[in-house]
Amino acid sequence: MEEPTFEPDLIHAIFKIVWSRRALERQMIEGADALDGETGAGTSKKNRPTSANGNALKLSCELLRNFITEAVQRAATIAEAEGVSKIEPTHLERVLPQLLLDF
Amino acid sequence: MEREEDDSVSELLRDRFRLSTIHIAEAEAKRNDMEISGPVMTCIADLAFKYTEQLAKDLELFSQHGGRKTANMEDVILSVHRNEHLAAMLRSFCNDLKAKEPQSERKRKKASKKEDQATTSVVHIPDS
Repeated sequence: MEEPTFEPDLIHAIFKIVWSRRALERQMIEGADALDGETGAGTSKKNRPTSANGNALKLSCELLRNFITEAVQRAATIAEAEGVSKIEPTHLERVLPQLLLDF
Repeated sequence: MEREEDDSVSELLRDRFRLSTIHIAEAEAKRNDMEISGPVMTCIADLAFKYTEQLAKDLELFSQHGGRKTANMEDVILSVHRNEHLAAMLRSFCNDLKAKEPQSERKRKKASKKEDQATTSVVHIPDS
């Protein structure tokens, strides 16, 4: 393997934390609604957290890998223009606005 | 109590994520004959982690909008639709992944049922 990347399992675990947190939030909102007697059955099914398939995770890993390589490459370009061989925070600062707009 | 447990799990994941980030960033820096200072590395890792969380939210919303419970590759591509270059790049990566799958012919017949199935996770996360 020539290019290091993220493990899909790791990304999946992070996704799952976000999704289960949001499912919990939805459940709490539902619970508040249920007190008004508006919602009926089938709520538990609706509140099941989202999941992702394997290829989607691999693709997400690739996207995140690109985010990091872009950040490094752009900062490296600035550092090179300044004639230094170490990327310092100021270099990252310069490229950050455009980087965040691009992702 | 439950919250604390959740926090410690995400703390562990954050560390693992940071490690992977450093790995990727250092490989990239090496290719450019550059070194990366510590604060820059931390900053990039935190940014990428936040981006991952945001991506999770996007994927959930997109798959829900499509009436699904499982996020698929289209959702990931949709999340970068503002950046045409990036979208095209992911699209070709996506096609590579599809081409790699051994039973692509059978899948075409049997619709995308298999593809929509959720992956079973190896990392255990408590369903808090």
